[in-house]
Amino acid sequence: MSEGALVTEANRVELTRASSTLDEPKGGHGRGRKWRGLLWALPALVLLCLFVYWPLLLNFRYSVEQSNIFTGEQTFVGADNYVKMAGDPIFWRALGNNVLYSVVSVAFQVFGALILAAIIEGLRRERLRSWLRAIYFVPSAMSLTVTGLLFAFIYQPKGGLLNGLLESLGLGGLAQAWLGNPDTAMGAIIAMSQWQGFGYSTLLFAVAIQRIPSELYEAAAIDGIGPIRRVFSITIPLVREMTTLMIIVTLSGAFQVFNEVMVTTSGGPDNSTQVLGTWLYRSGFVKNDFGYAAAIAVVMFVITLTLAIVQVTIANRKRL
Amino acid sequence: MKNKIIAAIAAGGAITMALAGCGGGNGGTPAADVDLSEVTHEGTVSVITRYAGNYESFFEKMKADYEDMHPDVTIDLQQESDQGYKDKIKTLTASQSLPDIYFTWPGNYAEQFYDNGVALDLTEVIAPGTEWGDTMAPSALEAFTKEGVTYAVPFGLDAKFMVYNQKLFADAGVTVPETLEELIETCGTLRAAGITPMSFGNVDGWPALHYITQLNSYNVPAETLAADFKPETATFDHPGYAKSLEQFTEILTECTDSGTGANGVDYYTERDAFGAGKAAMFYVENLEFGATVPEGSQAEADGWDQFKLPAPSDAEGDTEALTGAPDGFLINSRSKNAALAVDFMKFVTSQENASELTAQMGIPSPVKDSLTEENSTPQLRESIDVLQSASSLSIWLDTVTVPDVADAFLSGVEGLISGARSPEDVMSSVQAASEQAKG
Amino acid sequence: MADTVAVRPVHRGSARSPRPVGVLGFWRIVGRLMIFGLLAALVIAVVYPILWMGISSLKTNSEILGNPFGWPDALDFGSYVRALDSGVATYFLNSVIVTGASVILTTLISTWAAYALTRITIPFSKGILYLIIGGLMLAPTVAVIPLVKLLQAWGIYDTYWALILLYTAFRIPFTTFLIRSYMIDLPLEVDEAAVLDGASTWQTFWRVILPMCTPIIISAVILQVLFAWNEYLFALIFIGDESLKTLPVGLATLSSRAVTDFPAVFAGMTLAAIPMIALFFLCQRYFIRGLADGVGK
Repeated sequence: MSEGALVTEANRVELTRASSTLDEPKGGHGRGRKWRGLLWALPALVLLCLFVYWPLLLNFRYSVEQSNIFTGEQTFVGADNYVKMAGDPIFWRALGNNVLYSVVSVAFQVFGALILAAIIEGLRRERLRSWLRAIYFVPSAMSLTVTGLLFAFIYQPKGGLLNGLLESLGLGGLAQAWLGNPDTAMGAIIAMSQWQGFGYSTLLFAVAIQRIPSELYEAAAIDGIGPIRRVFSITIPLVREMTTLMIIVTLSGAFQVFNEVMVTTSGGPDNSTQVLGTWLYRSGFVKNDFGYAAAIAVVMFVITLTLAIVQVTIANRKRL
Repeated sequence: MKNKIIAAIAAGGAITMALAGCGGGNGGTPAADVDLSEVTHEGTVSVITRYAGNYESFFEKMKADYEDMHPDVTIDLQQESDQGYKDKIKTLTASQSLPDIYFTWPGNYAEQFYDNGVALDLTEVIAPGTEWGDTMAPSALEAFTKEGVTYAVPFGLDAKFMVYNQKLFADAGVTVPETLEELIETCGTLRAAGITPMSFGNVDGWPALHYITQLNSYNVPAETLAADFKPETATFDHPGYAKSLEQFTEILTECTDSGTGANGVDYYTERDAFGAGKAAMFYVENLEFGATVPEGSQAEADGWDQFKLPAPSDAEGDTEALTGAPDGFLINSRSKNAALAVDFMKFVTSQENASELTAQMGIPSPVKDSLTEENSTPQLRESIDVLQSASSLSIWLDTVTVPDVADAFLSGVEGLISGARSPEDVMSSVQAASEQAKG
Repeated sequence: MADTVAVRPVHRGSARSPRPVGVLGFWRIVGRLMIFGLLAALVIAVVYPILWMGISSLKTNSEILGNPFGWPDALDFGSYVRALDSGVATYFLNSVIVTGASVILTTLISTWAAYALTRITIPFSKGILYLIIGGLMLAPTVAVIPLVKLLQAWGIYDTYWALILLYTAFRIPFTTFLIRSYMIDLPLEVDEAAVLDGASTWQTFWRVILPMCTPIIISAVILQVLFAWNEYLFALIFIGDESLKTLPVGLATLSSRAVTDFPAVFAGMTLAAIPMIALFFLCQRYFIRGLADGVGK
């Protein structure tokens, strides 16, 4: 989820700042050429409307229609697609997988990363700190396709790294077709996703921790507060805002998961790794049911928008 | 209105073959609208194939040769990979801009184009009894015939065979099994001799469906299958389906090493294992023979041959059926140069060019007598003999059914392999998907 | 900073109880060992698979399958030639084209928008700001189904433009805000001085504001490169033509088409990963700055 998180992450915070400065516009030379100034923002607005907002509105319409790709006919079917969705066990499984994804990702990429960042920033040597941050980040710079293909090899039942490792540890009994077994496939993909993403959130937490004035730690040390206590009494409370943000961003990313599942299992075996994104893709582009795919998109829209609103609300409350 | 004169031909296995006076179906374009007999050799014909990559030279040669013969004709050729084609054709369909000639797989996949009026009725030029039709294997034409209307030009012949390693068979002292029960026994003997009986990987889902396709035609009577492959009459409630799934599970456990982990095992790695002489059997399409046993491979040195997946002794269905199907080409019913497009396809499927197809690409052609000793291996020729003598061709389960049912089978069998689902469980989700598809 | 004040007094009294030094020292050593063990284990978990990918690209097929942990007997760079021949060269070039064009467009358009929102007075500036803010809340997946038909109707489906314009449109919100947050902090006197010198708005932007924003623009560019290079969803859906595919989709195609030439697949993966890893290490400073400035001070 690296790019997605990057987008939302930085911006959601920025959002707060943006709205806080809305009332105090800078500039304004009052040259009487105000309208001409709109030209500066025009390209951005045109592109956003054409490629972001207009499709979004159309998607609502599609979700109440059924379309025939051969004839191009669209028929209004009311809530049919939504009714079908409510009775579709694979839709519910996909949603459940997204929830599982969220829970695990919040545990590892938010709380795990926070602890890890605190540990790293507690090290004495700056060189070591910056190297660790950088190395942990490397998987986030790689495309999810590369990660997915790499882990497909790692998880292979014959000649795969994971089974090889287990066998060399005398745990050969645990070896299996990780992505081929419906019981382990989702877990295997989620684990891969943690590998990919933990360094990214660790880096962000490290940046936040660096902003905590060092006098606080010095004072606490003088007071005889041990390093572990310092983490809990200074670091964690002071990066609370960042933690909230990371939770939201991670949740939002977990509901948009697509690439990592497509390149490893495409939702199989037996739909055990289906998530909303892949089920949308399969319904729309494999089964030609655009209306149903649009209805799934509406559900994704509602979930991610709700998360965004929660985020803005929290950010605003904080400001007051 | 048109009177339908339907004469069912009993030979039809997976597909009901019928003859009708005029174009039946739901909205297929009547042949009368287009005159295919008058050909003017000028203009442009657009073609899309799925033969990019290693296979693309054949159509390039066809284009060049045809343009040489008819200087006023331009063939606008576009070749895609397998997946690239699937994506592209959807876009072209949705934007109402299909080319004049376009590739198709048989079954529901092809029928949906015809049913929606974007594929031409070719009965008058290619049905059995016509000059062109008589050059083709009847079973290949049958695969593209619905209610008496033939709507596609068969192009490549493809069928599924069990290849086996003769040396490994001899080492274990086994011979080619005649029944499914014997096959299972053979696997036991091979295994006891320390030989992996069969390699199998199902990471993509379809390899298992090919076994199921063949077993279904053994266990389910042909008429029942035919009815179930039509969305309107489908029930999928014959007990033979569950039986096929059980038999497949038995093959999986008794014959393969992949077992319940097969969903995580790559098909092509397993195919290589056969080529390397590490497994005694592998279930494969005949057009893959060359890739399965490459020149200089261990399996080639050991000696190899093929047999049809044997039928269970208590089979209720057609034991002479063979899993396989021709690929084909559809002619766009909205084409301005339909007659010219048909003429080009006649040229492509002439006996000379059909032989060229096998020689160049290793793809057997449905054109009669196109396989010769120069252009093919004995195993390939023999497989085509088996194919010609098969009572009917069973089309791949994942293209013969509507997408929802295909999907239910695909994921259900994956669950069956991993042990999470019982055969009955799989069939009930297939039945549910089939009901849903009726709308 | 209000939290800090609350934190300190609570612990002041309680933390003074003296402990026996020996026990403290022992546990501290154990703790340190555990911490270093954890950090080292994570380094291995991250680095090993990536190195393994590179090493595997130099092996033969049977070495990969038979001896996944070992070194290759001979370094075989032929896999790179095969990967490049079977499409990776094209995918790589396409990725460069799409990434390059979308970076230029996104940066220009976003910088203009940020300028309009911070340095000059325009009508509806609040509404425009919200319209751009809103773009951040939308998941790209939600627009995909209608975009299929829209891009077809506009005639850019299955062209470079489909990806270039989508990557630009969906990244304008982020980039605008990143640059805006920097621009808003530039002193107003800068513009005033330019106006006194007789510069037009246009000249002020290009000659004064834009150069002053160089550091954040570099950050924005790097983040956009990373996004466009690795994007998969749009590339999968809006490009069908083999000759237009970018790396993330092309590699997936390669792995299914190369069948069992695993070294070539590893070579393709390595070729796709190296530029971004290199970019990150070379521009780490700007990278972190982009993140940090976006996160707010």
